[in-house]
Amino acid sequence: MASDTPAVQKRPDAIAATTSIVAIAGWIVPGLGHLLLGRWGRAVFLLLAVGGLALVGFAMRGELFARESGDPFGALGFFADACSGAFYFLPRVMHWAGPDVSRAAGDYGTRFLAAAGVVNLLGVLDACGIALGRKR
Amino acid sequence: MMSGGFHVSHFAAMAAFAACVSVALAALARGTVPARFKYALLSLVLFLAIGVGIAWLMYPFSR
Repeated sequence: MASDTPAVQKRPDAIAATTSIVAIAGWIVPGLGHLLLGRWGRAVFLLLAVGGLALVGFAMRGELFARESGDPFGALGFFADACSGAFYFLPRVMHWAGPDVSRAAGDYGTRFLAAAGVVNLLGVLDACGIALGRKR
Repeated sequence: MMSGGFHVSHFAAMAAFAACVSVALAALARGTVPARFKYALLSLVLFLAIGVGIAWLMYPFSR
């Protein structure tokens, strides 16, 4: 009579806690949210994609947007950059030459860095959807 | 490390961007693994084809 047995439901506060942990973990380390949910395949590919975009962006000497830019586009740029989690802080721990947007490559690198954050944000939203049971 | 940055062609930069974004979109998509692999390939080809197409359209205005 398995069909008469009610499915085991997680408590709403437990779901909220799991979703919060997954979201924070996924933001700090791209793919870690999926890894905590047992989706290691997605986790690996997300880490490769976000890491690839960020590292190529730094190698092309792209620029990270400042926190106090004073204009809406700068604020959006900072938000996109900050979404890449640990990669946002990478220039502070490695010997990096710094941005050079006087060349086209540096300008492209800036877009790579912003794209890395946006892709990681998509990953965090996906992991939250899985944790909430809205997505498989 | 990376003291001078590396120099890549415009096409190589676009191809690297397209590859990374295609992998991420396919990883987050629904469906089976083969379906997502096809999605990644299609996305990569469309990124490159549309990018080269727009470049051709802009070429007459480049000088």
